[in-house]
Amino acid sequence: MNNTLELRSITKRYDKFTAVDSLSLQIPKGCVYGLLGPNGAGKTTSIRMMIGITVPDSGEVWMFGEPFKSSHLDRVGYLPEERGLYKRMKITELLSFFAQLKGVSREDAEKRVAWWLERLDLLKWSKSKSEELSKGMQQKVQFIASVLHDPEFVIMDEFSSGLDPANARELENILLELRKAGKTILFSTHRMDQVEKLCDEITLVNQGRAVLQGDLRKVKSSYGKSAVQIEYDGDARFLERKDLVQSFHNMGNHVELKLAPGADPQQLLRLAADSARISKFELVEPSLEEIFIDVVNGDKNSLAGGTNA
Amino acid sequence: MRNTWLIIKREYLERVRTRAFLIFTVLMPMFIAGVVVIPSKLMTMKSGSTRSIAVVAPTAQIASEIKSQLETSEQPKDKKASDNDTAPTFHVEIRSGQGEDTRRQLAEEVLQNKIDGYVWLTDSAVRDGKFVYATNHPSDFTDFSTVHSAVNRSLMRSRISARGIPAGDIEGILKRIDMDVTSVGKDGKEGEPVGVAAFFLPFVLMFMIYMTVLIYGMVVMRSVLQEKTSRVMEVMLSSVSSTQMMAGKLLGVGAVGITQILIWLVTVLLFSFPGIAATQPMLKDLHIQPVVYICLPIFFLLGYLLYSTMYAAVGAMVNSEEEAQQLQWPVMMPLILCSVFASSVIRDPNTPLAFWTSIFPLTAPILMFVRIAGVQTPPLWQIILSITLQVLAICGMVWVCARIYRVGILMYGKRPTLPEILKWIKYA
Repeated sequence: MNNTLELRSITKRYDKFTAVDSLSLQIPKGCVYGLLGPNGAGKTTSIRMMIGITVPDSGEVWMFGEPFKSSHLDRVGYLPEERGLYKRMKITELLSFFAQLKGVSREDAEKRVAWWLERLDLLKWSKSKSEELSKGMQQKVQFIASVLHDPEFVIMDEFSSGLDPANARELENILLELRKAGKTILFSTHRMDQVEKLCDEITLVNQGRAVLQGDLRKVKSSYGKSAVQIEYDGDARFLERKDLVQSFHNMGNHVELKLAPGADPQQLLRLAADSARISKFELVEPSLEEIFIDVVNGDKNSLAGGTNA
Repeated sequence: MRNTWLIIKREYLERVRTRAFLIFTVLMPMFIAGVVVIPSKLMTMKSGSTRSIAVVAPTAQIASEIKSQLETSEQPKDKKASDNDTAPTFHVEIRSGQGEDTRRQLAEEVLQNKIDGYVWLTDSAVRDGKFVYATNHPSDFTDFSTVHSAVNRSLMRSRISARGIPAGDIEGILKRIDMDVTSVGKDGKEGEPVGVAAFFLPFVLMFMIYMTVLIYGMVVMRSVLQEKTSRVMEVMLSSVSSTQMMAGKLLGVGAVGITQILIWLVTVLLFSFPGIAATQPMLKDLHIQPVVYICLPIFFLLGYLLYSTMYAAVGAMVNSEEEAQQLQWPVMMPLILCSVFASSVIRDPNTPLAFWTSIFPLTAPILMFVRIAGVQTPPLWQIILSITLQVLAICGMVWVCARIYRVGILMYGKRPTLPEILKWIKYA
């Protein structure tokens, strides 16, 4: 089995609403996988079911080629969306405790803690209690806790929230190192730029269902070069042509738009040049952010976008 | 097992290392002493001041008899030496004249605080068998018995001497005899004489077990709630199961409670060594039966496990301290009832009430222990029945509460309703 994780049509219902609706996905070993979706789409519930915090009502979770069992957890690292540390514990003790829960021996745990604290520039705080640290530092401590036991599979739910760009970059680098070492990484995030930078494959969930799934580049190219970026100066009434422009996002002199199905970009360029000075006109692949918004809104309006599995 | 053990260790060390643990260990016995011993001591103690009272009696002989009775203040010998030290002394002034104007005059003097009170013992009072003691300390009932018995003895003396018995013999006739209270043990032999301590000791021990169960139960509730609100729970659950979490928490905090109780017991044991005990007259009566040393930790554990399990479920159900305060009431009620029943169980351990409350699992940890710590050890079959029922109740409670806990710790938002909780229990 080459899949680190496999969800087979898992479903979770709470009372009246269905949080996750027959979701299936496969995360191959060594893959960096993105789990995307708007708030309340069922991402956290899905992750909880992957690691046995909650049990699906139906469907199966397979991990490392076997049906999930709790002993798998020693090989999984999890960084939850909401941070949680024991406030009164000293950082070193806290981290060593978390590592020991994953089956690392005490001596080994202490060595690893020292190494990671040095790596993330927290050494001088090692004797402090976690409540004395700033939010960003707590975040780094939480990150260390999720990779300390050298897991084969790392789950990161919004790993960089509350971090400054330098620290976020540092953690990204660590994740890239982990990927190089053959670890499997699952991201759950709203930061589309991070997904584009890091992920190999994605699943976009909305209202508990997978609405877009597959290799990131294929997903993007399947949308075709249907997006146009224009830099202009002058009248922008060409944007009102419903037969050419399906949707647009105008930022003053810079506009990103999506062509209507079957529209000719050349016709749009001629039209635009009539009313404004065009300094840039480029046909591009849509950004993941646009696809995301398009799919999520499309789902809402039951509008067929480029849904593709 | 590895994970549960790690959690137990963490919970234990986090609490035992704190200053709060140390303070609580020292303050708790003081607090219990404050709650149980001091008020009852105060009740039996007199204020230690001098009472200046006036006496009106049918004859001068009776009056001076009352005066000497009160002023020499002959105390019954079964009272504690410590009580005598602070007993008030009476200063008695004999008045003559049995008219209403004398009475008014005396009342006026009481009002002006010239005297503290007066004994109004007229011929008609003797005839009717009832006299009046007017005082400005009408709530100090220990005074009353002193005055009452002084007047009675004086009247008796005067009546006996009126029958022509020589004064020298009267002392012999009226000589008091003291009483020792004891109980008959199972071996059919009388036990050691018991003092007031026989009543206080079960009370002190009752408070000890009551307070520790209550406080450690609340510690469990708080810390579950904190893990939930600080979201450590989710991090923990990615490594351990909710059952391991709950077991580790209950056992870890319970071990802290046991540690504390052992510290207290060892301290008491040290004080009860003959050399040390001799220096403390109060401790002389605190002969704790050896069985209590064993039963205190056992019954603490039983009570703690039963209640902290419920407290853990409450902590898992709520999202804030305020909600927790409200929801912990149903859990606290039986515990509070225990302290209400305790005094009647201690006074009369053979009533059906004492039997049933010491068998019923929710009150048994405290009330069965109180009976064991009391003078009369309950029959062995009752103790075994009580412990068996408690163990069964704990198993049932763990089963129910673990389910509430498992669902509750991941639920945020509005507090669950009763039907929702029942659903959790059913489907978890």
